[in-house]
Amino acid sequence: MVFSTPVFLFYFLVLTLGIYYIVPRCWRNGVLLVSSLIFYYWGERSYTVIMFLSTAIDYTHGLLVERCKAKDNDKGARMAVASSVIFNLALLFFFKYWDFLARSLQAMGLTFMPVLNTHLPIGISFYTFQTMSYTIDVYRGDARAQRSILNFGTFVTLFPQLIAGPIIKYKDLGDQIDRRTCSSEKFASGVQIFMVGMAKKLLIANNLGQLWDASLAGTGGASVAGAWLGAMAFSLHLYFDFSGYSDMAIGLGRMLGFEFLPNFDHPYVSRSITEFWRRWHISLGTWFKEYLYIPLGGSRVGHIRKYLNLLIVWGATGLWHGASWNYLIWGLYFGVLLVLEKRFWLDWLGRHRLFSHVYTLFLVAVSWTIFAIEDFGRLGQYLKVMFGLGGAPVVNSAFGYYLLNYLPSLVIACVAATPVGLAVYGRLSAQKKMALSTLLVAGGLVVCTAYLVASTYNPFLYFRF
Amino acid sequence: MNKKFSVFLTALFCIFIGGVCLLSLLLPKQEFSPKENRYLQPTPTLSLEAVTHGKFMEQAEDWTADHTVGRDLWVSLKARCELLLGKKENNGVYLGTDGQTLFAQYTAPVDLNRRMDAVNALADKLSVPVYFSLVPDKTYVYPDRLPHGAPLTDDGSTAAAAAQLCSEKVAFIDLYSAPWGQDSFYRTDHHWTTMGAYTGYLTLSQAMHGSVTLMENEPLLESDQFFGTTWSSAGTTWIKPDSIYTWVSDKLGVQVIAYPNGKPVEGQLYVRDKLDTKDKYSMFLGGNQPLCVVKNPSAAQGKLLVIRDSYSDSLAPFLALDYQEVHLFDLRYNLTPISQYVEENGIDQVLVLYSAENFSTDNSVTLMAR
Repeated sequence: MVFSTPVFLFYFLVLTLGIYYIVPRCWRNGVLLVSSLIFYYWGERSYTVIMFLSTAIDYTHGLLVERCKAKDNDKGARMAVASSVIFNLALLFFFKYWDFLARSLQAMGLTFMPVLNTHLPIGISFYTFQTMSYTIDVYRGDARAQRSILNFGTFVTLFPQLIAGPIIKYKDLGDQIDRRTCSSEKFASGVQIFMVGMAKKLLIANNLGQLWDASLAGTGGASVAGAWLGAMAFSLHLYFDFSGYSDMAIGLGRMLGFEFLPNFDHPYVSRSITEFWRRWHISLGTWFKEYLYIPLGGSRVGHIRKYLNLLIVWGATGLWHGASWNYLIWGLYFGVLLVLEKRFWLDWLGRHRLFSHVYTLFLVAVSWTIFAIEDFGRLGQYLKVMFGLGGAPVVNSAFGYYLLNYLPSLVIACVAATPVGLAVYGRLSAQKKMALSTLLVAGGLVVCTAYLVASTYNPFLYFRF
Repeated sequence: MNKKFSVFLTALFCIFIGGVCLLSLLLPKQEFSPKENRYLQPTPTLSLEAVTHGKFMEQAEDWTADHTVGRDLWVSLKARCELLLGKKENNGVYLGTDGQTLFAQYTAPVDLNRRMDAVNALADKLSVPVYFSLVPDKTYVYPDRLPHGAPLTDDGSTAAAAAQLCSEKVAFIDLYSAPWGQDSFYRTDHHWTTMGAYTGYLTLSQAMHGSVTLMENEPLLESDQFFGTTWSSAGTTWIKPDSIYTWVSDKLGVQVIAYPNGKPVEGQLYVRDKLDTKDKYSMFLGGNQPLCVVKNPSAAQGKLLVIRDSYSDSLAPFLALDYQEVHLFDLRYNLTPISQYVEENGIDQVLVLYSAENFSTDNSVTLMAR
């Protein structure tokens, strides 16, 4: 199930919240576990078994690690951690990378791995990373092992963040699973964040996604300006889509009494790629830093080793986003840029305000193009047009049409991608804040519902003929 | 945030989502959506099998979407928001610069050769003259009403390419340069109007037998409440309805034999009962059917077979002025080989007539020479 459907908003959420707040406090995790399993089963059906498997295995491994540590058996504890990591990575590898590897090998003439055509269980990249971090946290002493399997299951399956993150580390959530307070203040702030997320997704992201589709399809012929407009549309689409989902997750979490860490911090105001990645998908960046970059030696090693570590981390980050070569290239593209920035021009960028903004946005827009187009032939074509090598005209009438058609949406999106709105809101008096947020929540509910319902509006036009 | 306000905001949210849920569940359900011209999802039945196969979930998603309280209002609100955002299209429909004309979008075919091969193969099989023509899309006829710079869905290239691909046995009739008027196409529908069909008729008849019958009376208004399919797609409820006219009188002794279910029954040129339904255009001959024969014993020309789409239904009354028999043959529902039909019925001329879009998108076209 996804958040932006009538069945989620008007039925699943109503029922879940209703039951959650009616039952005695001690049953709440049970309600969450059951509703999360239904949430996952709704779209993934038999893959729900992975949830049970994941819960059971990581739960036992957590206890095992703790028991070994209590007996000062560091080797045993390490073995348990390794076994849990292997299990989680195997799960991820099998469902996400098996077919990719098999196809790549077949392209080289090696056929010992059959292509299985498995369908990717939704959210697997998110929840395997979460459960993996659990045993590691227990080993490192950052978290205590969870005694209750029900509570642990609640952590693994928690529906607000199950399918699209943020990636929540057990050490940040464990205490809240055991004990959390619910209040109307928390709920109301959850409503605000949820509505912001929903508006981002339904009103801005979907809208600009159409512009990207039109520009990819080259409707009316490709042009250089059109290709850049498309790249800009995709950059904004992706940000509003993803951060919208994160906001909805954070908002839903608050409605249920949880505090999740923020996942995006206005990434497009960054002045370097280094800064961009501190602001974009923060939960993934910190995950890779804590569980891969630092264990590899981090930056406390020689220069060459440090840069190699960075490239490994960014290759992995790329592949985490998808099992295809373009994602690997996309990750390494950032890896190389980050190395170059650290080595050469990060300080210089800091001194050149305007240039650093343009530089970052340019490189990020190019990166999203690599990210968006899996097929190398089409990607090459698109990049050629972008850089004026394909013989396409600089502008054409289709560009004019799309620019004009989407101009208000683009302007709104650009402004909304900066912290300006928040700053203005912050300066308002308490009275005005209340009036504005009432207006935004009520208006947001109405308009989002309109877009939600209209997206399923599906006239059957057999009589077109 | 103070306590009172947070309680208020919490209540606002809960009452809204809970209210939509309850009202949607409790209010009586619509079975059929005339606006969308389809049956809405019936209440899904819960069974173990339906759940494990995922059928229940699919149906439940459709059901919740189809029966959200105030569905049509939400759809209209979304269309208005898009307009407010300065967008000139909604749901695959361009909103014309006159504020009242809607243009459906489609893309030109990738397999035009295959489609034209079928037309040429048909001509090879027949010994009677074969004419081929395409009705231009509204976007081609009224480019001035399209939003500035909007990619044309019909720029005439499909028809031009099709004309090039006609074998010497197929005579291409160019409707693209016909003298279209401002009221040749409905604003809310993709079809041509009765006046547009008349313009088409003049060009077609001139090409097929070198003479035409000029209309001397005035068109007769049949309905001014026609909301077409493009209107349905657009969700733009503020657009004014179209008017439907008839021109050729149905009191001239023209006989119609309709085959709605494969068996001949007496039909009418204008089935006015259809004016009470959403699909008012099907008033012409009663809508889609495998075969329909229009007879006018007093006409001068012989028998014409039209390989039809729905545009031919409003054209047929004009053709009946000239031809003793006009046979409207629908490839989608009629499996009789055309060569056999032509022979058995003594057909004198064959006209393959499609709208540019239908010719580009309908796959039955390729079955023409079966």
